[in-house]
Amino acid sequence: MMLSINGWLNLFQPIQLQLPLLYPSLASYHHESRQNHSVTESGMFSQSDDDLNSRGFEIHMSRDDINLDKLNSLFVMVGFPRREKGKLLRALEHTVSLLWIHEKKSGSIIGFARATGDSIFNAIIWDVVVDPSYQGLGLGKVMMERLIADLVKRGISNIALYAEPNVVGFYQPLGFISDPDGIRAMAYSRRRR
Amino acid sequence: MACCSTVSFLMVPHYYWCSSSRLTCNFACSSYCSSVASSFVNALNAVVPEKQDLRTKAGLWDSIRSGLLKTSPTAVTEPEIKDDEIELEDEVVLVEKVQTDGTIEKIIFASSGEVDVYELELLCDKVGWPRRPPSKVAAALKNSYMVASLHLHRQPPSTDGDIPAPEKRELIGMARATSDHAFNATIWDVLVDPLYQGQGLGKALVEQMVRTLLRRDIGNITLFADAQVVDFYRGLGFESDPEGIKGMFWYPRY
Repeated sequence: MMLSINGWLNLFQPIQLQLPLLYPSLASYHHESRQNHSVTESGMFSQSDDDLNSRGFEIHMSRDDINLDKLNSLFVMVGFPRREKGKLLRALEHTVSLLWIHEKKSGSIIGFARATGDSIFNAIIWDVVVDPSYQGLGLGKVMMERLIADLVKRGISNIALYAEPNVVGFYQPLGFISDPDGIRAMAYSRRRR
Repeated sequence: MACCSTVSFLMVPHYYWCSSSRLTCNFACSSYCSSVASSFVNALNAVVPEKQDLRTKAGLWDSIRSGLLKTSPTAVTEPEIKDDEIELEDEVVLVEKVQTDGTIEKIIFASSGEVDVYELELLCDKVGWPRRPPSKVAAALKNSYMVASLHLHRQPPSTDGDIPAPEKRELIGMARATSDHAFNATIWDVLVDPLYQGQGLGKALVEQMVRTLLRRDIGNITLFADAQVVDFYRGLGFESDPEGIKGMFWYPRY
């Protein structure tokens, strides 16, 4: 539906598996204050902007200069439909936070993620994609760390997403819990009507 | 009108679309006083509130799972420009009743966002939801793509011949949706005053919202449902874990 990183799990870096249990028992969450919870375990991003730059990747978090054709090419590459440009622009204009990765040599957009919401309480993350040729390099995590940090900085404490079954394992180490307290994701289905 | 003073005009499950400042309601009466119908339409014309700017009213209660950070600003993003065509005011009279004393009661659905923050706070108290700073609630409402409300309108009979008694309006239900105005929408904070639950008002609220969203060409309508209301939404056409997709939350607070 909206979140898929094709082949991501197949190319999971070994270091991911060495991370200690990221979330203590649920009971402790009552006492844990969200604002003290750093976005990453170490308090720093897994790869810095400089690290990425030196490898030819530029992180952008503004929709200025985003090339919709290149973005559509990326969507098509991961199996999303190509979106009508007017509608895509409108969607980006009403997106609270977004991130795209510019690959300097090719000039392509090779990563993208965005979040919508009310900018106060809730945010939903959509369209998290990495060009299959660049998967396995930790770029999905790079994007998510920054997107979440931006949302947290804006004071948004409820960050949710809808994960396809094959990427639930990608989001868990980032701090996402599925069906917390029995909450279920639901979507309107015209077929059911 | 004395002959119909005890009749209830029940319009559920038929929803009647009313345009702008005039009501052109066609409703199926369970009453045999068909001639009264037209006088009711006239009465409704008189009492429906004027269309107001979508952006001036705010106030929306947020989900139980939203928390607060001390540093969070009450930022309001750019005004919600409904880039679609001209906004048609969608007001639907869901229930109409005449009490024995002649008081006219109506429950009206509106998607125009006219929700008072303080009325909403009272409503949330009634359902047991925690309070949130009104300024934040106001901002969250303003930043929502759609704010739907249920109001109970009560017009007592006129005591002074020509002058109609003032109409009282009370917020009894609400729901809102955030969206990117193009592809996805997520419904939050659906609530109905416990006194008015069990009448199908929650269903009507969500159904109208979905209808409006579909009319605005938002193809993906989603929500997160507490375990005890999953069946409620199933009955409205929502599917849980569609294609195995799981809802996930970042370090949720319980």
